[in-house]
Amino acid sequence: MTSIAVQDLHKTYKGALEPSLRGLSFSFQKNAIVGLLGPNGAGKTTTISILCGLVKAGSGQVKIFDLPQDAAHREEIKRLVGIVPQQIALFPELTAIENLVYFGNLYGLKGKGLRSRIDEYLQVFGLEKNGNKEVHRFSGGMKRRTNIIAAILHQPQLLILDEPTAGVDVQSRSMILQFLREYNKQGVSIVYTSHLLEEAQTICSEVAIIDEGRLIVQGTPDALIAKHSNCGNLEDVFLHYTGHAVRD
Amino acid sequence: MLRLLATIKKEWLLLLRDRTGIILLFAMPLVLITVMAQIEDAPFRDYQEVKFDILTVDNDHGRLGRYIQEGLQSSGQFNIVDSVKGHPVTEQAAREMVNAGDYKICIIIPQGATGAIVSNANKIVNDISHRMGMSIALPVSARTDSLHVTVYFDPAAKKAFKSAIHQALDNFLTQVETDLLMDRIKQQLKRKDVPETDTMQIQLKAVGLKEQFAGESKQPDVISNSVQHNVPAWSIFAMFFIVIPIGGNMIREREDGSLLRMKLIPGSYLAILAGKMLFFVGVCVVQFYLMILVGIYLLPMMGLPKLVLGHSHVATLIVATCIGLAATAYGILVGTLFKTPNQALNFGAISIVILSAIGGIWIPLEIMPPTMQHIGHLSPLSWGLDAINNIYLRDMGVQHILTDVSKLVVCAVVMLCIAAGIEKRRIS
Repeated sequence: MTSIAVQDLHKTYKGALEPSLRGLSFSFQKNAIVGLLGPNGAGKTTTISILCGLVKAGSGQVKIFDLPQDAAHREEIKRLVGIVPQQIALFPELTAIENLVYFGNLYGLKGKGLRSRIDEYLQVFGLEKNGNKEVHRFSGGMKRRTNIIAAILHQPQLLILDEPTAGVDVQSRSMILQFLREYNKQGVSIVYTSHLLEEAQTICSEVAIIDEGRLIVQGTPDALIAKHSNCGNLEDVFLHYTGHAVRD
Repeated sequence: MLRLLATIKKEWLLLLRDRTGIILLFAMPLVLITVMAQIEDAPFRDYQEVKFDILTVDNDHGRLGRYIQEGLQSSGQFNIVDSVKGHPVTEQAAREMVNAGDYKICIIIPQGATGAIVSNANKIVNDISHRMGMSIALPVSARTDSLHVTVYFDPAAKKAFKSAIHQALDNFLTQVETDLLMDRIKQQLKRKDVPETDTMQIQLKAVGLKEQFAGESKQPDVISNSVQHNVPAWSIFAMFFIVIPIGGNMIREREDGSLLRMKLIPGSYLAILAGKMLFFVGVCVVQFYLMILVGIYLLPMMGLPKLVLGHSHVATLIVATCIGLAATAYGILVGTLFKTPNQALNFGAISIVILSAIGGIWIPLEIMPPTMQHIGHLSPLSWGLDAINNIYLRDMGVQHILTDVSKLVVCAVVMLCIAAGIEKRRIS
C-alpha cells in the first residue's frame, strides 16, 4: 500500500510564466521515511500544498492512502495527515501549552486526554519546563520542536515535514531526527523535504529528487549512490542530477 | 462548538497579552469621546448659552437706544459694552475694534431715532383721529429722510450669526415702534371718552409660539447638545476602528503560518472565523457600553450634559451588536484583501475616517450639502448613528431600528462573501 501516489501532476500559478509542476509522478510506500528533495523552485512546496489540499492542481491525480485528494475525501485525508510547515505556524504571544491546547481543540481533542498527550510530547521534545513560556521567547530549535508537536497531536498516519530542521542547532536537529525515526517505528509514514542532504541520507529509507516540476530519480540513498561511481554521497547524486547552476 | 469556543478563548488570551492593543481598543476611544464632546460643546450649544460682547454707540439717548440695549441684555446672549477703558465708545473706535476682530458686532443708534419713531406714531394717530372726526394734531417732524440703526459685523462672522442679529434688531425696532404707537393711541382714546380708572389692557399678541417635542418623553433640547451627538457618534467611530486589530491579526496569522495550520486541520474554517467574529463583536459591544458610561457619568463631571438614553435597552444592544458585526466583517475583509499589516493599517484607518466624515460622525448629516447627505447615507456608520438616534433622541423601540440594523447585517454578509471570494481565488 502506498502512503502517497501522485500521477501526472501539473500546476501553473496564475500570472506565472513557467509551470511549477510538469507531469510529476511518484509513489511512496507506507511506513517509509521518504525524502522529497530538489533545488529551489523545483516544485516541492507546490507538491506538498497540493498533497494537503491547500492548492488545487491544474491536472493529475493525488492519492493519500488510496484516497483521492478531492472535495469528498479532503476532511478524511486531513485527519490522516499531519503537516509541519516550514514556517513556525504558532501564535508567538501564546505559551507552548496554550498553542497546543488550541490546536488540539481544533482537532476535536479536549480535557485530560489532550493535556496528557501534550505533556507527553513536551517531554519527548525536551520542552516540559518551557510549556508555560510564550513561544516568542523560545529559541529557534524550541520553536521547531513545538511546531512538530502541533502537527502530531491528532496522531496522524502520515507526517509531512517541510524543512523541519532549518535554522536549528545540532542538538535540536539530532533530537528531531531521533524522534522521526522513533515515530516511524510506530507505523507512521514520513515525507520530509530538506536542503540538508547529509541529514536526508541518514534518515530516509527512500528519496525522490524532483526538478523543474518533474521527478528526476527515486530510490534508496544507497542504491542511488552506488549507481554512480563518481558519487560518494547523496549530495553528489543530487548535484549530478540537478547541476551546479545556482537556483533562485 | 469546541472550535468556536477554543477560538474565542485564544483571541481572549491574545488580547490579554497585548497591553498596547487593550489601551488602543478601550482607553483611546474614551479619551477621544471626552475630548470631542468638550471641543464640540460650544458649537452644539444654542445661542441661549453662548454670550457675545456687543458694542453699542447710543447717539439717540432716547427710548429706542434704551430698548435695544435692555432687550439685548435681557436676551442673555449679549453683554452690552458702551465704554472701553472708562471712555464712551465712539462710532469710529467701534468700527475699528470690530474690524480688528476684538468684537463681533457693533450697533450704532443714530441721533433722533426715537424722535423719528415718535413722529411717525404721531402721524399715524393724527391720520386715524382725523378719519374718526377728531380734531387732534400731535406734533409731527418735518424731516422726511429715514434714519437707520447701523450694524457692523466682524468680517469673520458667520452668515447664520448675522441673520440672527438682524432678526433680533428688527424685532426690537418693531417692538419700539408698536409700543410708541399703542402709547399714542391710548393717550388719544383717554382724552376722548374713557374714564381715568380704565387701565386699557391691550393684548397685541393674540397668538404666540410654543415649542413642544414630537416624541413622547424627551425634552426638545436633548437633540441639540454635544454629548447626545458626540458620544454615540464617536463610539461608532471607535468601534469601526476594530478594523485595525482584526486586519493586523488576520495578516499576522497568514504571515506566521498559523492560518495555514488552521486550514490544515479537519473541520470547517467557518467555525474558527465565527469564533473570531464573536469575540471581536463582543469587544465592540463592550467598547460601546464603556463609552456610553462615559457619557452618563464622566462627562457631566466636566460640566457637560448627561447622555440621555432611550427606554429600549434591547434595541440599543441589537444596534451595538450589529455595528460590531459590520465593523468586524470590514476588518476581516481588509485583513483578507491586503498582504501586509502596513497596507491594512493605512487603508483601514483612512477608510474609517472617510466613512465617518461622510456618515455624519464629525458633523450631523443634516447640515451637509444635499449631495453629501445622499452619499453619507451609504456609510454603515450613518446607519448605526441613525439607529442610535432613533432610540436615544426619538425614544423609539426595536421596530424602528430594523431598517438600519438590516442594512448593517446585509453589509456585513456582503463583506464576508467578498472576503471568502478573495480567499477562494487565492487558493485556486
